[in-house]
Amino acid sequence: MRRLPVYLLLDTSGSMRGEPIESVKVGLEAMISSLRQDPFALESVHMSIITFDRDVKQILPLTELEALQLPEITTPESGPTHLGEALELLCKKVDSEVLVSTSEQKGDWMPLLFIMTDGKPSDLQKYNQMIPEVKKRNFGSIIACAAGAKADVRPLQLLTDQVYSLDTTDSSTFRQFFKWVSASVSVGNRSVGASDEMQLPPPPPEVHTII
Amino acid sequence: MTIKEYLESIGVLFETNEEALRFLNQAEVIDFLSAKKDNLPKEADETKSDETRNPIDENIIEEIFYVEEDIPLKSSDLLDDPLAEDTSKTDDMAKFSDYSVPMNEDEKQQARDNAFAETVRSKHFTLQNAKVNQPYNFSVDPDFIQANHIGEFWFDGLEALGLEFDKADNTIKGIPTKSGDHKITWHYRHIDWTEGRPTFQRDLTLVVNPDPRSLWNNTPTSTDIPFYKPDCDKAFRKVGAKSGFLGLRKEERKDMVAASQRGRSHAHGGSPRDDDFAFHFDEKNEWYVLVVADGAGSAKYSRRGSEIACHTTIDVCRKALEVSSDNLEQLIAGFKKEDSQENRKKVGDLIYQVLGAAVFKSYKNIEEEAKNSDSELRDFSTTLLMTICKKFKFGWFVASFWVGDGGIGIYDKNTQFLKVMGEPDGGEFAGQTRFLTMPEIIQPAEIYRRLRFGLVDDFTALVLMTDGITDPKFETDANLMRIEKWNSLWEDLSKEVDFENDVDCSNQLLAWLDFWSPGNHDDRTIAILY
Repeated sequence: MRRLPVYLLLDTSGSMRGEPIESVKVGLEAMISSLRQDPFALESVHMSIITFDRDVKQILPLTELEALQLPEITTPESGPTHLGEALELLCKKVDSEVLVSTSEQKGDWMPLLFIMTDGKPSDLQKYNQMIPEVKKRNFGSIIACAAGAKADVRPLQLLTDQVYSLDTTDSSTFRQFFKWVSASVSVGNRSVGASDEMQLPPPPPEVHTII
Repeated sequence: MTIKEYLESIGVLFETNEEALRFLNQAEVIDFLSAKKDNLPKEADETKSDETRNPIDENIIEEIFYVEEDIPLKSSDLLDDPLAEDTSKTDDMAKFSDYSVPMNEDEKQQARDNAFAETVRSKHFTLQNAKVNQPYNFSVDPDFIQANHIGEFWFDGLEALGLEFDKADNTIKGIPTKSGDHKITWHYRHIDWTEGRPTFQRDLTLVVNPDPRSLWNNTPTSTDIPFYKPDCDKAFRKVGAKSGFLGLRKEERKDMVAASQRGRSHAHGGSPRDDDFAFHFDEKNEWYVLVVADGAGSAKYSRRGSEIACHTTIDVCRKALEVSSDNLEQLIAGFKKEDSQENRKKVGDLIYQVLGAAVFKSYKNIEEEAKNSDSELRDFSTTLLMTICKKFKFGWFVASFWVGDGGIGIYDKNTQFLKVMGEPDGGEFAGQTRFLTMPEIIQPAEIYRRLRFGLVDDFTALVLMTDGITDPKFETDANLMRIEKWNSLWEDLSKEVDFENDVDCSNQLLAWLDFWSPGNHDDRTIAILY
């Protein structure tokens, strides 16, 4: 069976504390439930969650959807947003977790990466160093989401063409966003092959495409 | 002076005192600030008390202590040392009691119970996910129970799902009948529970995964789409026996069967089948031509690409063999007599003129179609696997061309002979392959490199298949070269498809294509000469 690895990088810095992070959790729950209703996703999606604030942690190692249980997500009261360090951990995890084809081993589908932040990387130098490294990892698609008014889209645009913004960080916005992520994951399951880019479903009205 | 104010006075700004403290929670910063503070002008120090220790220092150290205090004690620490356990109980109790009023025994007991309930509630405890109609067996970790001083416990909400809790071995068992996220209430008591003391409860979610088989829809493809093709296709060609001289020495000849089925992943969304196949038997010269093609899932008109490739191949091979059959047969006979470099080259060159022309013309026809429909060539991306073969007195001659994934193999069950006619074009990741429509493929050297031909005495089957079949049945490129895998494939096929009697078995073959394999739901196409 071929796996579709999906990596979620979630901002858990101080500013996400309270309603925003609770909304993210609700959104994640809804996303996982809805993916479980997609037969292809149920058989192929493997998900990993990396959170970043001052510390960077893989709170969920790459786990098949069937066995997946959302771990606790905590946010410190304040502190920096170490997105660069998160990308470094991501590369390490992709190298060890994602299988590539060999004559004796069946490779995974190209992994998908979703990044959600409500700020900007505090470790900008590391962030910039990691961009070419992430690009080397052959992600089928990298989708970055800048949530809330304080989020900076510019650093994200260096990483991917697919940057979207959310006006607010409330629960209905996140719900819409994760619903769309799950639709994108389902599409990612099917549209592989000749075209270089995955065809995403149109984002909901809460999600703005950054040009 | 607060920490924040002090930091402001030396030009380091923070929004809140908290944030400033967080920043200070580092030994170097403390050292740095201590040094900085000593160099401050006297006026700034006027708020300083007479105490020997600087109030800022004190404040910092206090706050740091506060931060460290937050680190929870490990439950194993508590277990090892009964004294430590007692301390923790007292700590928990403190949260729920007010020391200013002395408590009586009942109140103390109540405070202890509440502390226990709260501690258990805060611990990570989840039920392992289940799968509908599959046996479930989840044992509650005895260490968890012991470490948290939990006595009797049970669950509510299991029976309705077809599960039960076995108290004897603390296990939830059964076969869940309903999929979804179910609420289960967990009731638990303290290990020292006696009548009159409370039972606590906590809501848990039990995820029962649906059976993926039940989730697939089969939505017919709309006939209005450009280049519509039916969701499945099949064909059978009975070649039958040939009568010899004066009707004596009847000679059995091989038949052809093929089937193509839209994959579940396409059927689910009502999108069309992208695979295709075609075959042909030339009555006059007795050449067989078989071809399968797999249109790329992500290319919008790949169904048309595979169709054009298949039909063009038949067309070109048929015409080319009409012209070159005699010549080719002579060269093959020469090659049989002497397998020399020279004779091999002669056959190869002529094969190139037949199969190479079919490849090239397929590419050209697709390019033409792309132009006519105002699309890109890559919108028609397709793989292409073809063979031509003929039986001679001295055995079978088989030649092939192959671009993309999938596979072509000559298999003999009795002699355990296997010849795979090329190598699949796989990438680093699943779904990556090469297509006929890539300009580098139709370079003469590249076409030549992909040609294979040879002589075999006889075979049970010559099989051409797309990756919808090779992925589940062979899994890896290495397995495609293993006779055991071909044995299982043939055994599997023979169970459902009647290859023994000269009957149309294309319906059986089409039905066989519905086999279940988790995660493998691509279009499936197979063509067999047997």
